Amino acid sequence: MSDLDYPDDLRYTTDHEWIRVGADGMVRIGITAFAQDALGDVVYVSLPAAGETVAVGDACGEVESTKSVSDVYAPLEGEVTAVNPALDATPELINSDPYGEGWMFEMKLADSSALEALMDSETYQASLT
Amino acid sequence: MTTPTSGKTSPLHDRHTALGAKMADFGGWDMPIEYPGGGVVAEHTAVRERVGIFDVSHLGKASVTGPGAADFVNACLTNDVRRIQPGSAQYTLCCDESGGVVDDLIVYLKSDEELFLIPNAANTAEVVRRLQAAAPDGIEVTNQHEDYGVIAVQGSRSDEVLETLGLPTGHDYMSFVEADWQGRPVIVCRTGYTGERGYEIVPRWHDTPAVWDALVEAMAPFDGKPCGLGARDTLRTEMGYPLHGQDLSLDISPVEARAGWAVGWKKESFWGKEALVAQKAAPTRLIRGLRVDGRGIPRPHCAVSADGANVGEVTSGTFSPTLKQGIALALLAPSVADGATVEIDVRGRAVAATVVKPPFVQVQVRQP
Repeated sequence: MSDLDYPDDLRYTTDHEWIRVGADGMVRIGITAFAQDALGDVVYVSLPAAGETVAVGDACGEVESTKSVSDVYAPLEGEVTAVNPALDATPELINSDPYGEGWMFEMKLADSSALEALMDSETYQASLT
Repeated sequence: MTTPTSGKTSPLHDRHTALGAKMADFGGWDMPIEYPGGGVVAEHTAVRERVGIFDVSHLGKASVTGPGAADFVNACLTNDVRRIQPGSAQYTLCCDESGGVVDDLIVYLKSDEELFLIPNAANTAEVVRRLQAAAPDGIEVTNQHEDYGVIAVQGSRSDEVLETLGLPTGHDYMSFVEADWQGRPVIVCRTGYTGERGYEIVPRWHDTPAVWDALVEAMAPFDGKPCGLGARDTLRTEMGYPLHGQDLSLDISPVEARAGWAVGWKKESFWGKEALVAQKAAPTRLIRGLRVDGRGIPRPHCAVSADGANVGEVTSGTFSPTLKQGIALALLAPSVADGATVEIDVRGRAVAATVVKPPFVQVQVRQP
C-alpha cells in the first residue's frame, strides 16, 4: 500500500472516506486512495441529493466498480449542500484523483465539534495495516 | 491489496507478485485478478483493441490414452469427437446422469489413442475420477494438473506476438500444433475465452515462466498487457460464454444453458443423454442475455421480473467495458421473448433491461 497517499490535512473514517474541513462548518467528502484501489475501476456513482439531511452512518449513496459495489456513508450529521456533477459522466475520477477531482459531496455540519471524533492521517494509515 | 491465500500457486506466481497483481482465490488457486497500472477496464480494452496475455495455468490438464481412447471419451462426454480430426480441439461437457454439468472442458484429439483434456481448475479431480471409474482395461486416465502451464494470448495482434517467438500461427480456429520453442515442447491451440482471435499455449510446468517472459517482451511493441481473471470475466461475459459454477452447473443443464450445440444428440450414448433428451423437448428455463437500459450492474442471483412477476434470476452479471453498460446472463422462463423489457432487482432497486441474444459485442475478427 506504500504507493497510496493519505494527505495530512484531511480527516478519515473507518468506512474509508476522507473529509476536508472548509470554513463555516462546511466539509467536502470523498473516498480514500485505499478504498478506490480496493474497489478497482469505478463505473457508477450514486450520491445523495443536495438539500437532503443525513445522520451519521446513513447509507446515502453507492460506488460501483467492475468488481463490486460499496455504500457511501454520511460521515457526519448535517445537510448535503452540493454533489460533484462530474462523477456522473466521469466516475473514473475517483480512481485517478480521489482527493481532488474525484470528490463526492459537500455538507454543512449540524455540529462542527463532531469532526474531533474522526481519525487523522496517521491514525487512519495505522488502521489499514 | 495482495491478500495471502492458502491456495495452490501457478508456475507464474512469482511473476504476478513481482508485478504487484491483486491476487485472489479462484477454484482453489491463488490467481491474479488484475495488475496495477491498468485494472480490469484497461486490460479488457487491450485485448479488444490489441493484445493481452493471461496466466490460466490453474486450468486442469489430463490425458486419456490407450486403444480406443477416443471412443471411450465419446461415450462419456457430450460432444461428438468424431466430428473433428486429430489435430483439432473441441468444446464439450461432462454431465452426470441427471443431465447436470459436472464441468465444461476442451478436448484435444491427438489421435484415436491419445486425448488431452483441459477442464476447469475446481472440477479437474472430479472429471478425472469419473473417467477413471468408467475406463475399461487398457485405457489410462491421468491427472496432469501440475505437469503443464497454460498461457492465453488474445487479441488481434496475437499472431505477431507468437511469430516473434517463432511459434506457429494461422492454423484454423480450434486446431492445435505441437511445436518446439527453444528446445521446449509446447502445444499452440487457436482457442480462447474472449471472442478475439487468439491462442492458448501449453508449455510444460517448469518451462512456463520462460514462455511468459518471452511473450511479455514480444507484446511490448503492440502495447499488450498482462491481464487478470477480472478482465477474462468481462471479456467472456460480453461474448455470452458460460462460466461453470455460474451459468452451467450440476443444477443448470446444457439444454438450459443453450449449449446444445456441444451435445452429440445422435450419438448412441453419453453421460446424461436420457435426461437431456427429455429436457430438450420442453425446457422450463433458458439462459438469455440482458442488456441494462440505464444505470446499474446486475450481479449473480439478482431476481428478474417481467410485468411484476418473477421470471428467473441472473447467473452472471458485470459491467461491459465495451458497451459501458451493465450486462448479464440470466436463467429465464422460455416465455420471455427476445426484445422484451424486464426488471432486475439490483440491491433493492429495479433496473430495466432488454432481453437480447448474446454476444453483447460484435468482435472485429469473426471466428469461423
